[in-house]
Amino acid sequence: MSALSFLKDSVFSDEYAGCRGFLQARDTRFKVAIIFLLLLAVLFSKNIYFLILLYMLCLFLAMFSKISLGFFLKRTWIFIPLFSFFIALPALLDIFSPGRPVLSFNLAGITLRITQQGIAGAVFFFVRVLTSVSLAALLVLTTRHYALLKALRIFRVPQIFVMTMGMCYRYVYLFIEIIENTYLAIKSRVGFVHSVKKGQMIVAVNIAGLWQRSYILHDRVYSAMLSRGYCGEPKAIDEFNSDFKDWISLTAAILLFSAGLLWQSCCLS
Amino acid sequence: MHIPDGYLGPATCGVTYAVMFPVWLIASKIVKKTLKTKQVPLLAISAAFSFVIMMFNIPIPGGTTGHAVGAVLAAILLGPWAACIAVSVALIIQALLFGDGGITAIGANCFNMAFVEVFAGYYIYRAISAGSTIVSSRRIVAAFIAGYLALNIAALSASIMFGLQPVLHKTASGQALYCPYGLKTAVIAMLSEHLLVFGWVEAIITALVVKYLQKQDPVLLKMQEEVKA
Repeated sequence: MSALSFLKDSVFSDEYAGCRGFLQARDTRFKVAIIFLLLLAVLFSKNIYFLILLYMLCLFLAMFSKISLGFFLKRTWIFIPLFSFFIALPALLDIFSPGRPVLSFNLAGITLRITQQGIAGAVFFFVRVLTSVSLAALLVLTTRHYALLKALRIFRVPQIFVMTMGMCYRYVYLFIEIIENTYLAIKSRVGFVHSVKKGQMIVAVNIAGLWQRSYILHDRVYSAMLSRGYCGEPKAIDEFNSDFKDWISLTAAILLFSAGLLWQSCCLS
Repeated sequence: MHIPDGYLGPATCGVTYAVMFPVWLIASKIVKKTLKTKQVPLLAISAAFSFVIMMFNIPIPGGTTGHAVGAVLAAILLGPWAACIAVSVALIIQALLFGDGGITAIGANCFNMAFVEVFAGYYIYRAISAGSTIVSSRRIVAAFIAGYLALNIAALSASIMFGLQPVLHKTASGQALYCPYGLKTAVIAMLSEHLLVFGWVEAIITALVVKYLQKQDPVLLKMQEEVKA
């Protein structure tokens, strides 16, 4: 249930998306394109200094978007980057990264060496993951979720996907509520379940029950869609408005992406 | 199995996106053709269902928990193409809105879980349960085996992606640029945890849900035939 609580917290935390900050003021289509370009710059980068520069940019963007730095760091350092840090630790050793040893130690009679290549690779991997996660977090925190899904249309995502995503997003809320209520009902009737087998059975029955309810629900949703004028093809209202600041931001992102590629090719040649 | 940003290089991300684009296009065409207008909301609700399944923590002996992907279950209930869309939508929303799985790795995650796992699971289930009635216990066994094997095939696919990174992207001094572990290490690490833990979780949940639906509402297990009709 902890995963559910985390999900619920993230779903319902729309606090920063409503602030009047730099990223919140950008047209969602431009913001998606800018973040995607920066993510590509991170993906293609083979230069640690350029990655650090991009990470600093993330922190500045968070500050200018009125996101509390403590909250942003907590959100972006815990989970994936920390997990990646532990994944990268064995890569410091010469078993996985052969190269010039900088430190050696004995563990259970086995001599292990930390190599220069291992340290460089692990740091590179960690900073890349951290910067990517920070960019994704900036997008999520500063955009209302429904606007983000709607903006996908600029990438020519098929309409069936966009419509399904929009509807799916709404039903996720409902399903979380149903599951929470079901668990609360089980807890109030049987208390804490100690048996693994019983626990698995409860989860399976919950999933099957959810599927039954979903099936019943789709009939009602269809009736609701018909009553609103749905006739086979979904129609969406576009509410996007762009201004010159959006174009300047996009140009800056394109320049940064190109500079990254150029820097890389200069370093390689 | 949700691959975050930064683990895979541009070549792997690009290739998996390139593979998934035609799959998504074919899936949306087939689903548009076979799905009756009335069943359109079912797809969205199935995607939400698939999303929520991944949030269930299932108790595992030893006091820990794991979570199922639910891709095989979605394939059994909806058919492979609709399940491919439902699981893809769930994965895209997870990546875009919750940061679970990377944005640049959406192609790779969808390839592993919405394509490889869905189709492998569906055809294994179909092969084992062929000729059996909807309430036959063979279907439970089929769901169990399909859940276990399909998740492990998907894990193998993910581990090959990880293992290829040091081969594809390395500096002149031998420094890894993305996932630092070679093919052997990545395959052993990924497969051991999926063969020993997560595969069983997927198998048990898929089989138990099929068993429950056989008893309570067998019509729902026929639904994917209904969608095709």
